Amino acid sequence: MNMKIKAVVTAIALAASFSVFAADSIKIGVSGPYTGGSSPMGTSMRDGAKLAASEINAKGGVLGRQIELVERDDQADNTRGIQVTQELINKEQVVAAVGFINTGVSLAAQRFYEEAKIPVINNVATGSKVTKQFLPPEFADNYVFRTSANDTIQSAMIVREAIDNRKFTKVAILADSTNYGQLGREDLEKALAAKNITPVAEEKFNIKDTDMTAQLLKAKEAGAQAILTYAIGPELAQIANGMEKLGWKVPMMGSWTLSMANFIDNAGKNGEGARMPQTFIQEPNTPKRKAFIDAYLKAYNPANGRIPSPVSAAQGYDSMYLLAAAIKQAGNTDGVKIREALENLNEKIDGVVTTYNHPYTHDNHEAITMDMVVMGEVKDGHVVHAK
Amino acid sequence: MEILAQLIVSGIALGMIYALIAFGYQLTFATSSTLNFGQGEALMLGALVGLTLVGHMNYWLMIPVVMVFGALQGVFVERVGVLPTLKTKSEFGWIMTTISLAIIFKNVAENIWGHDDLTFPSPLPTAPLQFFGIRVLPMEILVVVGALAIMLAVEIFNRKSIYGKAVVATSNDRDAAGLMGINTGMVITFSYALSSMTAAFAGVLVAPLTLTGATMGAVLGLKAFAVAIIGGLNSGMGVIVGGLILGIAETTTGYYISTGYKDVPGLLLLLLVLAIKPAGMFGKSVIKKV
Repeated sequence: MNMKIKAVVTAIALAASFSVFAADSIKIGVSGPYTGGSSPMGTSMRDGAKLAASEINAKGGVLGRQIELVERDDQADNTRGIQVTQELINKEQVVAAVGFINTGVSLAAQRFYEEAKIPVINNVATGSKVTKQFLPPEFADNYVFRTSANDTIQSAMIVREAIDNRKFTKVAILADSTNYGQLGREDLEKALAAKNITPVAEEKFNIKDTDMTAQLLKAKEAGAQAILTYAIGPELAQIANGMEKLGWKVPMMGSWTLSMANFIDNAGKNGEGARMPQTFIQEPNTPKRKAFIDAYLKAYNPANGRIPSPVSAAQGYDSMYLLAAAIKQAGNTDGVKIREALENLNEKIDGVVTTYNHPYTHDNHEAITMDMVVMGEVKDGHVVHAK
Repeated sequence: MEILAQLIVSGIALGMIYALIAFGYQLTFATSSTLNFGQGEALMLGALVGLTLVGHMNYWLMIPVVMVFGALQGVFVERVGVLPTLKTKSEFGWIMTTISLAIIFKNVAENIWGHDDLTFPSPLPTAPLQFFGIRVLPMEILVVVGALAIMLAVEIFNRKSIYGKAVVATSNDRDAAGLMGINTGMVITFSYALSSMTAAFAGVLVAPLTLTGATMGAVLGLKAFAVAIIGGLNSGMGVIVGGLILGIAETTTGYYISTGYKDVPGLLLLLLVLAIKPAGMFGKSVIKKV
């Protein structure tokens, strides 16, 4: 009997302390695709953000309050993305949010943050338009920020690698038919045009296509010396495997998705040598990066000791630190104040990707510039720095 | 010329995959006039179960095990999804039940095998073979041979064995077959088992070429459905020809017109067939008496 009373009292006390805790915490939304084909990026981003939040909380949180992450799965689906965004804003009443992996979802859903004056940091979506959706004069303030390398940067780097470094003059573009692939293809065309080069072939394919014979034969017949890609892992693997089948091997270079585990694993030896822009490579070349990699592996124990999408994990981690610093500087959780703090961040943030020194201004919401991005290369089933 | 030949060869390999799945649609339609819209998911389950087994046994030994699994899965679909709607004489209930079962299977697979596309180790060398400048993967040859073999086996079974004759009788006239003492309910269950078995077989056959994952069945199942409609839902020859037409149309259009339009000719053909010969190119049109 005595024991029972004790247990009940403890339970009540615990419940009470939790409710105090919950009322006092700072709610931050984390949305991305945690299921489906984009899930390696979504879950890595989420785990990176969780890691940062738990580190911040262990050091006493922000403004003396703990950070509470509210995770929602947008399934890489535009409609679902709108639903979870509204849920995060209206039901969960988050003070800010990080997330968005897919450019399409971001463009469809982030206007609700803009309308609610809640800052959101896109930490993986790369479409050039993402941060340019709400510009003056139509919108006085933009609540959309980003910690990933946008497609303008990436396409310029891909073209620089192909045309300037490797001296190719004939290149073919292979892009999937999604928003991501086609917007990226436009960016690549623009970057090539700046060097007075027109691609010799431009081919399309759909998600889940398994046969790339037609696309590759066209590129081959046009005399392409290299293939520039804008697509995601599984189809990129089919391109690499298709080249092996046709006995035609030219270098492959493309957007950062060539670092996805589902490309590297499914292409196997055919994917070796593929090059892509990366904000982060899983190599412990700075103390901060070593600490991050060790902590990530310890907390989530991914297969083969390989983070499913290192870039997403690092950007997710950094986005949470930037947001926490902004809340601290704002002194409260008002969305307008947090936005103002982000646009004039006094504290230098030592992130995994880079050290952020005033990353944003009122008119520039891109934290990543071209000099922070490196070229990665697939080697022995891992992404390493390209030499 | 060499390019055209290469495109046709790739198209044949692709088309035979479609044909094999379409064959599964046909088996159940013949006996019960119902289709299993989860045909693509039956293929996916077969491939994933095969992938798990292949870690413990030889690829060739794994095939019969996967086929048994496929047959059981087919029986499950029929008992849970189709039989109740047949009993209540619901005209279209089976459409919803097979689609919802397909979604459930996909979710279950995602929970067991994860969301990512996995690599299926190839039982044959992955280096392409070369014939007069045309390059073919050994696995592609296996797909074509395997597809033809299983279809032939099912056809022979239907024509020669007593059980097969029961299937044929039920396809021709379910009521008459029932009156002759054939347990038509059993035959329908059996046809579902056969249909999912071929799908599971198709799964392990194509998995080394495509990638293996919970979502692999959706597109293949849909294209195979188009093939079944083009070829005719009651003609074995039809699905093979339909599959080849769709496969070759895809690769050649992709090369000679535009890769953005590669799915268009197949779908135009589908519309054309539905407009001119709704029973399919090789289908027998049946006059429905009221």
